[in-house]
Amino acid sequence: MIRTRARRVSGSMNAAETFPLRGRPALCLVAPAGKAVTSVAPDETVPSAPALARFILVIAAQQDRQAFTWLYRHYAPRLKSFFLRSGLAPNVAEELAQETMLQVWRKAALFDPQKAGAGTWIFTIARNLRIDFLRREKIPSVPDDDLPDEPDGAPNSEAVLLTAEREARVRGALQSLSTEQAAIVHLSFFGEKPHVEIARELGIPLGTVKSRVRLALARLRALLDGEA
Amino acid sequence: MSPHRMRPDAISHHITDATLLRYATGRLPAGPALVVSVHLEGCPACRAKVAAFEAVGGALLDEAPPELMAPDALARLLARIDGDAPAEPQPLRKRPARKRPVNKRPLPDFPGDLRVPSALRACEVGPWRWMGPGMRMSRVDIPGAPGSGAILLRIGPGRSLPEHGHGALELTQVLSGSFSDEMGRYQPGDVSETDEDVDHTPVVDGDGECICLVALEGGMLFRGLMGRLIQPFVRF
Ligand SMILES: [Zn+2]
Repeated sequence: MIRTRARRVSGSMNAAETFPLRGRPALCLVAPAGKAVTSVAPDETVPSAPALARFILVIAAQQDRQAFTWLYRHYAPRLKSFFLRSGLAPNVAEELAQETMLQVWRKAALFDPQKAGAGTWIFTIARNLRIDFLRREKIPSVPDDDLPDEPDGAPNSEAVLLTAEREARVRGALQSLSTEQAAIVHLSFFGEKPHVEIARELGIPLGTVKSRVRLALARLRALLDGEA
Repeated sequence: MSPHRMRPDAISHHITDATLLRYATGRLPAGPALVVSVHLEGCPACRAKVAAFEAVGGALLDEAPPELMAPDALARLLARIDGDAPAEPQPLRKRPARKRPVNKRPLPDFPGDLRVPSALRACEVGPWRWMGPGMRMSRVDIPGAPGSGAILLRIGPGRSLPEHGHGALELTQVLSGSFSDEMGRYQPGDVSETDEDVDHTPVVDGDGECICLVALEGGMLFRGLMGRLIQPFVRF
């Protein structure tokens, strides 16, 4: 079981392995074609997940502004959208999108593709900034890098496999949910008062929201675990 | 492995998926979020669930419909980056030294076998206060979220945990000792999650005192958790 997983995942990791991580020129960055570097318009050319991760690694290694620009053009408009959907005012949403990208630049060395994909890592930065903003304090709440990562001595190869599998599986899982379950997951992430909003959106009594959420999460978790 | 638990595989009481999702999405108040952080330090199973939910967040972010940024937004950010002191490239594994908020007051006296969870070290933890026979508590102030209300309870063997009203999420993480309720026995690393649907009467097991980290949702910790029993003795 583990062995077949290993083969499948290591295949998908080969592209990343050929990428020069440190001290050598970045040869295989994928630039969205035909885009002016200075443009901040929403970018319809979506870089691949490995490309996005590579951008962050190059930023960490070389403070590469070009990689940062590509990363920015993908994530800043989506971060703004993310903050807007979670109920923040447009000017705040834009400011927090900027702050998130600034943190991405400054914390790029902390990015570990073995632990999370680019989108997941940036999501956690955005989430923490939103928490800090809502608490109206400048002290970071519980930054991810303050939490212990893996237990000391845990085999890293296993973490790589699990992370790669999880990242790949999540997208499939989201699409396998029923419309209602997908709505529940979306509202859980973006709603200010998720239970109230789920009840309104789906036209179900507030009292049954909790059990519907439980069902939706159970289904999501089963999909993520590969049990469904 | 865990800072405060010797057998992480033995954890038998976990946090619900719904609460882990709220934690992963940043929608849990500071007090309960602290308890979750402490539980995660000792629980690989719940850590994996949070990681999965965060990956869902990453997928939703990647799929979010782009919103137009201000035309000069990128230029302004690049200018800010230029103002940063040039950072030396850092090896991937090396993490910069972090500054933690320094406790203004010393952590309360813990039994020798209890190692304080790292999430708790970032907090300001008050001294033990006497609440009644065999009952002490200490306030936990979370940096950036004053008054968000988590407490440490230190309850003697055979005694009930303080009575409390229901109606909100309540998280109780065992740091040392053990207690039991209708759901079973809670040992170090275990967490009890209850809400208005759960009626339980936790009692500390007979073989020693029990230290727990407790938080209620809704900022009604002291009124709700302490109820009539504690209010006359403790003033906050
Ligand atoms: Zn757990």
